[in-house]
Parts: sequence; C-alpha cells; structure tokens
Amino acid sequence: MIIKGGIVYDPANGIFGEEMDICIENGRIAEDAGGEVIDARGLLVMPGGVDAHSHIAGPKLNTGRIMRPDDSRMGTEPRTGVCRPSTGYTVPNCYAIGYRYARLGYTTAFEAATPIIEARHTHEELEEIPIVDKGALTLFGSNWTVMECVRENDMEKLAAYVAWGLRAARGYGVKIVNPGGGEAWGFGSNVKSIHDPVPHFDVTPAQIIRALAEVNERLRLPHSIHLHFNNLGRPGNYTTAIETLELLKDIKPSRMRQVVHVAHMQFSAYGGTGWKDFESKASVIADYFNQTDHATMDLGQIIFGPATTMTADAPLEYANARIGHQKWSNHDIELEESSGVVPWVYMRKMPVNAVQWAIGLELALLTKDPWKVVMTTDHPNGGPFVNYPEIIALLMSREKREEEMKTLHEVVRSRSTLPSIEREIDWSEIVIMTRAAPARILGLEDKGHLGIGADADISIYNIRPDEIDPSKDHAKVKAGMSRAKYTIKGGAVVVRDGEIVAAPQGRTYWVDAAVPERDMDRMLSSLKEKFERYYSIRMSNYMVQDAYLSNPFVVRAGVQPLKEVI
Amino acid sequence: MRLQIEDVLCTFCGCLCDDIRVEVDGGRIEKVRGACRLGSSKIMGHSRIKSPMIRVNGELREASYEEAYRKAAEILVSAKHPLLYGWASTTCEALKKGILLAEEIGGVVDTTATVCHGPSIIGIEEKGLVGSTLGQIKNRADLIVFWGCNPSEAHPRHTLRYSSNASGRFIPEGRKDRKVLVIDVRETRTARNADRFLRIQPGTDYEMISALRMIIGGKAESLPEDVAGVSRKELVEIAEMMRSAKFGAIFFGLGLTHSRGRYKNVDNALSLVSELNSHTKFVIMAMRGHYNVTGAGQVLAWSSGYPMAVDYARGAPYYNPGETSCCDLLSRRDVDAAMIIASDPASNLPRGCVEALAEMPVIQIDPFENPTTFFADVVIPSAIAGIEAEGTAYRMDGLSLRLRKLVDTEYPSDVEILQAILDNVRRLRDDN
Amino acid sequence: MRTITIKLPQYHGVPVEAERISPDVLSGLSIKEISEIEVWQGNRRLRLSDIFLISGDPDPDRPENTRIVLEGDLSKVKRIGESMSAGVVEIIGDAGMHAGNSMRGGTLEIKGDAGDWLGREMRGGRIIVEGNAGNYAGAGYRGERCGMRGGEIIIKGNAGAFLGEHLCGGTIEVMGDAGDFPGCANQGGTIRIHGHAHLPGAEMVKGSITAGSARVLPSFAYEDIVELGGLTYKKYVGDLVENGKGELYVASGQIGK
Ligand code: SF4
Ligand SMILES: [Zn+2]
Repeated sequence: MIIKGGIVYDPANGIFGEEMDICIENGRIAEDAGGEVIDARGLLVMPGGVDAHSHIAGPKLNTGRIMRPDDSRMGTEPRTGVCRPSTGYTVPNCYAIGYRYARLGYTTAFEAATPIIEARHTHEELEEIPIVDKGALTLFGSNWTVMECVRENDMEKLAAYVAWGLRAARGYGVKIVNPGGGEAWGFGSNVKSIHDPVPHFDVTPAQIIRALAEVNERLRLPHSIHLHFNNLGRPGNYTTAIETLELLKDIKPSRMRQVVHVAHMQFSAYGGTGWKDFESKASVIADYFNQTDHATMDLGQIIFGPATTMTADAPLEYANARIGHQKWSNHDIELEESSGVVPWVYMRKMPVNAVQWAIGLELALLTKDPWKVVMTTDHPNGGPFVNYPEIIALLMSREKREEEMKTLHEVVRSRSTLPSIEREIDWSEIVIMTRAAPARILGLEDKGHLGIGADADISIYNIRPDEIDPSKDHAKVKAGMSRAKYTIKGGAVVVRDGEIVAAPQGRTYWVDAAVPERDMDRMLSSLKEKFERYYSIRMSNYMVQDAYLSNPFVVRAGVQPLKEVI
Repeated sequence: MRLQIEDVLCTFCGCLCDDIRVEVDGGRIEKVRGACRLGSSKIMGHSRIKSPMIRVNGELREASYEEAYRKAAEILVSAKHPLLYGWASTTCEALKKGILLAEEIGGVVDTTATVCHGPSIIGIEEKGLVGSTLGQIKNRADLIVFWGCNPSEAHPRHTLRYSSNASGRFIPEGRKDRKVLVIDVRETRTARNADRFLRIQPGTDYEMISALRMIIGGKAESLPEDVAGVSRKELVEIAEMMRSAKFGAIFFGLGLTHSRGRYKNVDNALSLVSELNSHTKFVIMAMRGHYNVTGAGQVLAWSSGYPMAVDYARGAPYYNPGETSCCDLLSRRDVDAAMIIASDPASNLPRGCVEALAEMPVIQIDPFENPTTFFADVVIPSAIAGIEAEGTAYRMDGLSLRLRKLVDTEYPSDVEILQAILDNVRRLRDDN
Repeated sequence: MRTITIKLPQYHGVPVEAERISPDVLSGLSIKEISEIEVWQGNRRLRLSDIFLISGDPDPDRPENTRIVLEGDLSKVKRIGESMSAGVVEIIGDAGMHAGNSMRGGTLEIKGDAGDWLGREMRGGRIIVEGNAGNYAGAGYRGERCGMRGGEIIIKGNAGAFLGEHLCGGTIEVMGDAGDFPGCANQGGTIRIHGHAHLPGAEMVKGSITAGSARVLPSFAYEDIVELGGLTYKKYVGDLVENGKGELYVASGQIGK
C-alpha cells in the first residue's frame, strides 16, 4: 500500500509537515511498496494515536456499566455488517471503545489500572475491544507483598515479585495509585501524606514509591513507574505532587525515558485550603516540569458534561460520592488494592469545574517540552475520550479558549493563568502529545512514528494543513479530527470516511521480565504462604492463562546483566 | 491410570470453591475430595442426555447433531422474538457465542439472575454497590450479617472459606474473632449458629432497613417504639452492633430480594451500608446462586452495556427488566420461541411462564435431562463445563477463575454447539 | 382538526413497537405516507399498514391540529405517543407499555387500561386513563435520577407499583389504589392517591403525596392534623433517611404515631 501526497507529520523522525509518500509492506512502514494507493493529496497524515492512560477494560468498567444503564442507553448504535452494536457514552461497551478510538484515528490504547487478581477479567474485556492494540498496567502500590519487601528493604525480592506480578497479570507496567491508601482503606482510613505510615505495615507511601521506582529500573521495564499521587483530587495537593516528584529525582532511568510518569496531572495541580478558595497551581507544576527531566505527565483534562469516575483511589471515590450525593460503588481487593466508581457531571458554571478545566489546558500550554505531555481525559474520569478533538482544538486556538471561557464561571479568570496564555500548539506538537510522546513514554518502539520498520498505524484526516489556520478554523479542526478520513491499523484500512470498514483483532502487549532464580524462589516461598493463609483462591488458579491473550505481544525485560551485550 | 487433580473448581454454587481434589481413572471421575455434599454430587454427575433429539409428532426422537443444529437454527430464524435463556451454569465463553447469536437473530438474552438477584442489580442501578472480594472479608470482617440467606443449606462452604468461620490476617482466631448476626423471617440453621438472631415479619425488610438507617443517622428518637413488630430498643442494639464493628459485611439472599419490596429492599440496604461507612468500614454482597451467574452478568455488561435482560430485536441492545426479562416476556407471551441453555426453567419459573414455554418451540442445550426436556422440541446434549470443557466463571464477588477440563468426552461443548447453530443460522439466511 | 384513524384488527403475537404514532410525526404526512412509516414487530421491520388499517382526513396539518384515534386492543402496541409535543392521541381500548413516554405536550387519552411505564420521563402535556395503569407510571428509566418532570397524569382506576418513582415535577392523580412504593425517591411534583398507598414517599426529598390511607414508613415524622380541600389529613414529613422535606398527607394512617 502507498499513501500518496499527504502532508506528513512525524516529529520523532524530524518530519514536520512535509509532502511525502508512505509505503506499507506486511503491516510495517517500508522503503517502497506496491498494491493499493491511497490518495491523500494535501491531507493531514500522522502516526496512529496512542492513548497512554485510559480506563477501557476490567472490573471497574463493568461496575460502571452495571450501575449506569442511564449511560449505556446513550450512544446506542445497532450492529452493521462489520460492527457489533455500540452502547454508552462515559462507559461504552467493549465494541464501542474500539470503534470510537479507530474513528478518531487512534490505534493503541492502554488500560491504566488492573489489580493482579482481577487481571483475567481485564483481559477478557481487552479481548473484546476490536481494532486497537492494547495493554494494561498492573497495580502494585497497596500490595501486601510489596509493602513487606519495602519494609524489609529487600529489593531483590521486590524485583522478583514485580516480575512475577506482571507475568501473573500479563501486565505491561507498574502502576501505583495512592500508595498505601488502598490498604488503609481496608479499614476505612487513608494515608494523608507521603510520610504517613500505612497502618499495620510500617512503611510510608514515600518508601513504597521510591522502592518501586528503583525496582522498575532494576528490571529495565519499557515503561517507568506510572503514578497516581497521594491526595489526588484534593485542594492544596500540588505540594504533595512536587514533594513526590522530588523523591525520584536522583533515580537513574535504565532506558531512554522518564523515571516517573504522572497520571492525570490535572487532578494533582490544585491550590487552596478547601473548595472555597480552590485555585490552579498548574503554573507551579509546569515550572517544575520545565526545570527537571525525570518526569512526564498526562493531562486528565476535564470535559463538561457527564463522566464516570473510576479509580483504585477508593477513599477519593468515597469523598466524591459524598460531595456529589451520587451513587457509589466500592470494591476492595484482598491483599492488593481497593477501588471505587462514582458517576459525575462537570458543569460550566461550577467554580471548581471551571478551574479544573483550565488547569488541564494550562499544564499543556505552560510545559515547554511537548514530549513531556500526553493528551488524555483520564477516560472516563475527566470525560470520555471521544472528546479528544475538542481538546486539540482548544490547544490550537486561543480564540476558542476565549469563547469557551465566556461560558464558564468567572473564577476561571481569577484562579487560573489560562486567560493570559497566548501559546497555540501547532500540528507537530499535537502529534507529539497524542502519538510520539505517549509511545516513547510507554516504551513502544514501533509506535508513535512513521520510520522504516514502524508499525503501519496511520491516521489521515480531512484537514488540509496548508489551507487552514487552526487558530481561526478551530471548528474545522475539531470536526476533522473527530472522523478520520482513513485509519490504517497494522497496514489494513479500518476506517474510511469516518466509518468502520474492518475490525481486526489488535495485539495485547505485556512484559516478561527475567530475574535471578534464587530471588524468584525466595519470593515464591513467602508468597505461597500468603496464598495458604490469606488469599481466598489457590495460587495455581491465580495467574492469567495464555488462553486469555489471543494475540499477545511479549516485550522482554529483566534485571540488568553484568555486561551489557551490544 | 489413577490421576489426582488438585485445585479443581466446583461448578455448583456461587462460592466457586477452587480447592477441590478430584481423582480420575480411565477417563472417569472416581472420587471428589474437599467439596461439600452439593458440590460432590454435581461433580460426580448424574443422568446424562445420551443423544440429540427432535420432537416429531409430539415425541422426542433421536437425531444426529447436524439435524438438531439445523432444526434449532430453523426455529430461531423463523421466530420474531426468540428468547435465549439460562447461561448461569455454563462458561462465559458460551455466553459470548450466545450474544453473537442473539445479535444475528434479533433475540433476547436473559440469565437466571432474572429469577434470583435481578432485583439486586436494579438496586445497584439506583445506589451503586459497596463491596469487596471475599478474601477481604475473610481477612478483616469482625461482624458478618446474613440477611435473608441461609448459607448452611445453600452455600455450605461459604462460612468456612470466606466468612464467619474463616480465619484471616486480622481475624487469626476465625469464628472467635467475629460476631455473626442473622436477620430472617424464620430461624434457619444459619440463625441457630449466630451470636444474634433478629426475626422479622415477612415483607417488612424495607421498614427495618429504614429504621436502621434512622438510628445510624442519629435519628433514633424519631422512630416509633415498635417498627413492624420489632422494638426500637432491639433495633438500636442491632445498629450499635453494626456501627461498632471494625469491618462489617452483609450477605443477603432471596429472603431480601424476593419478599415484598423486592429491589427497593436491596436499594435501601445498599444505602444503609454506604452510610455505615461514615462511621466504620462496611461492605455488602449478594449470595449468588449458580456458579457462574455473576459471570453471565459480566459478559453481558461488557458486550451490551447491561447485565441481564438484553433485547437485540432492533439491532441495538435494549434493556428494561420488567419488560425484557424472561418472566415478563413469557407471562405476557411476548416471545415466540426459546433456547434454554444450562438451566431448568420448567422447575424454576412461575407456572404461567412454564405454560407459555410449553406452547412455543423450545431448544434445550444441557448435559442433563431435566423437566424442561419434557416439552423441548430440540434437545442437544453438551459437555459439562468445568469437567469436560474448559472456560471462565466468575465467583459471587466478581473474581474470575478458569475452569479446567478434567476428562475427555464425546459431547460437544456449549461453545461448539452454539457455533454450529450460528453457522446454520447464517446458512439459512444465505439461502433466503 | 385533522383526524387520523388507526385500527388494529385482532392481534396476537409478539409486541409491536410503534413510537412513530404521534401527532408530531404523522400530522404532516399523507395517508399513504402514514401507511408506510416503520413499526417493529419483534425483530421484523414492517410498515404501519402491515398491521394496522389506516384512514382519515387526507390533508397534512400541524401537530396541534391533529387527532390520532387508535382503535382495538392495543395492549401489545408499545410507545404510542412517544415524545409527542402537541395534538391529541386517543386510544379506544387498552394501551401497551411506554404510552406517552417523554411526552412534552398535547393530550393522550386511554379509554381502557394502560401498560407499564405510562408517561415515563414525561415533561409536559396531559394523560388521562379511564381504566387502570401498570407499574412505573410517571417514573424514569433504570438508573436515571429523574422520572417525570412536568405535565399531568390522571388515572381513574388503580395504579401499579412504583408510581411516579423519581418524580421531579408535574402531577399524578390516582382515583383508586396505588401499588407498593408510590412516589419513591421523589424530588418534586405532586401525587394524589384517593385510595390506599403502601409505603409512599420512600427516600423522597421534596414534593408532596396525598393518600386516602397508607402504611407509613417509620422514617416519616408526624407533624400535625391539617385541612386540605375540606378534609382532614395527618401530615408527615420525610423521608428522614435522606433528610427529606417531602410532605405526606394521609386521610387515615394505619400505623399512627
Ligand atoms: S460451597 Fe458451593 S462451590 Fe463450594 S463445594 Fe459446595 S457447592 Fe461447590
Ligand atoms: Zn486513570
């Protein structure tokens, strides 16, 4: 296949809007090729979108669906010759997730939080999501074995457990959510700072984070630790964010990437002492990112309208349910985590929501290096991912931001710096924030760019970058980005003129990390005891079986060998 | 050769015990260890349907699988509103195929939840569910409440593995470290082993829960002296028992969901638990009956957005229990054919529904003969999931586990049967 | 006024979904076009005339000048008058489920009984039922926080369970008895039940419910005897489990306080 005459953006390879052809052979970008010709003359061409933080599969998704038939009835589409039926807006069914990502031009999406013991369920749902490649991050932050290793300061054992846990979950990376808090919530309490000891375990969140970060590098995992801060969602939490990032400054990354990826930064960039004097601290956070190089973030931008909040930060969901007088689901997971799900509505005239909206945009606009920023809504916490084109338009147009601000509560002007920000993101930066950066941050070498040998995941939009001015034509930008002219996944056309034309099964990425056998044996013998005494299922029934990954893609990693093989 | 298989899953009740040992010899199950009486008899097996059958002139006659598949497909394709019912005692993989079939033929998929914890699900739609895995309860709960359920009879190993009699990290002494409260309309065996038993009048659960919510909310003095036959004093003591627990867990059963008040009883109980969390830690869980009724709800939810009673007649899922649920469809004669899989509606549904079923074409897929067989028009025997076929099941707390294949069989699995029917449906469609 | 008559000859079989039978859709169409509108019978897409006999004034008119008369036993025909905003729909016989759901204006008259979810999520207009209504009259959809928000439903017979569940506005009047839990989780609106009510107003926070007699929840506080329209009522406030300020008036409470 050859894509002819497109205006190509491939910033990872130094291509910033050049007219060129792209050849595809055997699902990869090639030097040359024959076969089908796609006429993309003058159209915007870029790598397929990569979502590095989204909630798309697993128990909390189904919890959301089951408690929200009111949401499921939105966005209903009957089956077609190619597609199975779609339902839902904030909690779409599995099929809708795949089709809607593909229609946006996205070809990869990672689920951001899975407890090991419930990973089988996550994979069952991932298997049902069509088209996109996917993976799931594994939760380690309130895990008994992790905390015990940290307390014993036994990093070899911890590395063995993390490697085993990733294998058991068929997981892709280390996710840490409100570390320690998930355990404390087991008796209804929480940790209040990173130095607040976890009840019964005698370790602090700071120790857990630091140890997992060290082990993550010891295992040379493709992705860094992926961290949801303590105190997330609470006024004044920006200090916790910076304090936590400072903890990790001196850790050396084992690969060409960050040491920590911060999940949905927006929810942790809050000033004020309460909801009354709530304000944005995005500029302080952005300054920190501008001055350091060890961290990256995704936005967690909010979108006005309905959302469904779902997180392993169970105490936060309890607070949400109380504040919003909403339905509340909670799910504590033995020895590993806790979690919650609460429906939400973000309202324009609500002062806190207006400021939250500004914070996401401020973070993207004030952080100078786009490689440090991934565009997300923390779907569906900040709102559903189908709204990404809205965010793109906002980032590219100050005029649109001004128009929007007129419809919001006026505090958006006094409690954020957004009104004074002139920067308008260009196409290259958009491609970085939605493709190149998330792929690099996740360590997906064949994604997020169009170099020879890369996966032939490509999106083509009905947008003529040489003819439109995104600053003025933001409505066209939004409309164009909402329905890809073509989405090509692994060399196959899956979307044509905004409609799904094929729905192949994507891959599931997971990381198999090797550790010395003696560490593994030592770890397993103490783990066995946990199964005998505390888990409610048998160890032999715990691990996700191969049957649950029909199209696996295994990334190898492991403890650094003594001599690097070059 | 005698083979000992460890950590086998029991495919009977929602406890989904995964620590059973099975001895297999010459392709037959010889011994089951570690299961309760109910589980053992399920695993040991009983009278199987020997061959596919098709009803001709009022009598079931043996037929080939191919003939049965074709006949089943004909029934489904000619129906204007077929019902695909059961699913709680088979694998998730079977239901996945079933949903695909329902999409293709424009049918309704409903599970046996509709006659057990359907009301609980509707309650959850109102309030959400504050829950946990069973291991969390095992390790932490110092108060166990059984409300309208009787695990001693229906979930025999529940108390030992997960609840009142289990020991765990923060409950090292097991039963000694826990209090057990039973609330029911009669003194069950579970009630006799409790620390406290509150007997209530039938149909007054809702009022009891409202009263408890009042007390927990600090409004005891606004209550009448007597609430539906229970004194305020006693209710205050019960509420105090709940509030003073470090970790409380309520398990509820059909006594709550099928007495007067139905889903509102559950709805109210969910609020009670939610509010208890302002004072201490509390969770609540439905005592699910069939081993994979939870999984059936999960598969339907991720496929359609809804956990039961999904109508695909118009191509997109439509959900409205009370309208699209099995009993309502049958009693109103709103469906005109039925496929029953791994279930026995003839024994479990109200009489009016069974009569309706008897009048319409019925396809049965099941390893075992049961009263539904007597009026089925096509009978397709299948392999027993978890013994002769592998697949996935979800325990009552939502944990998924993999069922193993223990012995070989000649029978096709439910997945294979449904695929064959689907193939026949497509062929019939192409012919037209 | 333009009259369109739609007759249903004897009907047995799976339910028909006919959400397009509404003045908003039919008023502007010719009789031939009306005959061709889509209805569903289970999984079969049909034309209206495949099941119904259609006659009436030929010339299109505005919805507010349109009267649709349905004759026959329509208890298996669902969603008649869905989202209608003006005009009249008259059902000479029983109506199936979801009649007048999401209605915004106009009048729906049902001479017989109405099925479940009558006037579900209604926002305006008027529904009059000569016979009984099923469950969930004036209620919402599963999981939604609001049922009916405006308009009026009058049921001359009895109502089923969950009458006006999640009512947020509007008025419902029942001449006979109501089933279990009328007005549960109400956030506004008015329900008047002339007969008996079982546990009215559970979890209500606002609005008012009047009942001829009732079993009252223990979480309602008795306030006083009040006079309404020449009759005396016991006034309760609740539901206190939700710190509710809903008003419940009972002519003769069975559980007194
Ligand atoms: S308790 Fe249930 S799952 Fe466990 S052995 Fe008995 S029947 Fe089987
Ligand atoms: Zn997230």
